[in-house]
Amino acid sequence: MSAAFGAPLAAVVRLRGVLACMVVDEADGIVVASELHVGIDADVLAAVSAALFRGLRRSAEAAALSSVTYLQLEAERGFLCAAGHDGLVLVALAEPRAQMGLVRAAMMGAAEQLA
Amino acid sequence: MKPLVAEAWVEQPLERFVRDTRARFAIVLRTNGQVLGQYGFTRAVDVMSACALAAAIHGSAEALGRELEGAPFRELYHAGAQRQVFLAATAAVRGPVLLFCAFDAESSLGLVRMYFQEFRRAVLESVPEAPPPATSFGPDLERALHHNLAVLFGRGRQTPTA
Repeated sequence: MSAAFGAPLAAVVRLRGVLACMVVDEADGIVVASELHVGIDADVLAAVSAALFRGLRRSAEAAALSSVTYLQLEAERGFLCAAGHDGLVLVALAEPRAQMGLVRAAMMGAAEQLA
Repeated sequence: MKPLVAEAWVEQPLERFVRDTRARFAIVLRTNGQVLGQYGFTRAVDVMSACALAAAIHGSAEALGRELEGAPFRELYHAGAQRQVFLAATAAVRGPVLLFCAFDAESSLGLVRMYFQEFRRAVLESVPEAPPPATSFGPDLERALHHNLAVLFGRGRQTPTA
């Protein structure tokens, strides 16, 4: 893992209920750095998350809402969160028991360190 | 737009791949350059050129991979200013096939790689058992190349199965 991304990833993945955190190239959907629990397919998660974030960012721009800072998707078995910065997307996967307020705060702080 | 195919088993995997990835162009071909299906092209000559180039690039990359790592390189990717291309081989019952696709900012390398894995599985499932083709690089190669191009662009008859 790149040392430059170690601190941002660690700040998120150490939170209770967070299963994975990764830095993804928004344009390519490729993993740049990651901290994952066993059993998570990083490539698939990165590709789909980046596509989702990119699509929503474009939608927001088309609707004159300016840039998307944070995205949270709630599903039956957990949460997918993403925060973008300078062409990179910080993606986290969390269980339903995770405290999403803390996760959001950690993600926003970590995303600012990505540049 | 639906893919045009020379062999029926290619249609479903190719159609799904281009739909999921939003690729602009895609070709499924044999490693000798014989086209099996295509999406996005309107002229036979473009398909012929793309197949020849893709087969040559794959052959070179395969040889280079063997030299460097003792095994062929699995996937090849080139990024342009607006468009990017992806080329990869996958096993099929009647011998390996190549998938060559071009995509732009509507898709991404990550998505293309992800859906290529689905394409790979679909190809293996959709090809019925059959003996390998007898004319891979034989004297009938040119005729075989032109036959499939003719089928794709409406000047020949589609082979109903593999």
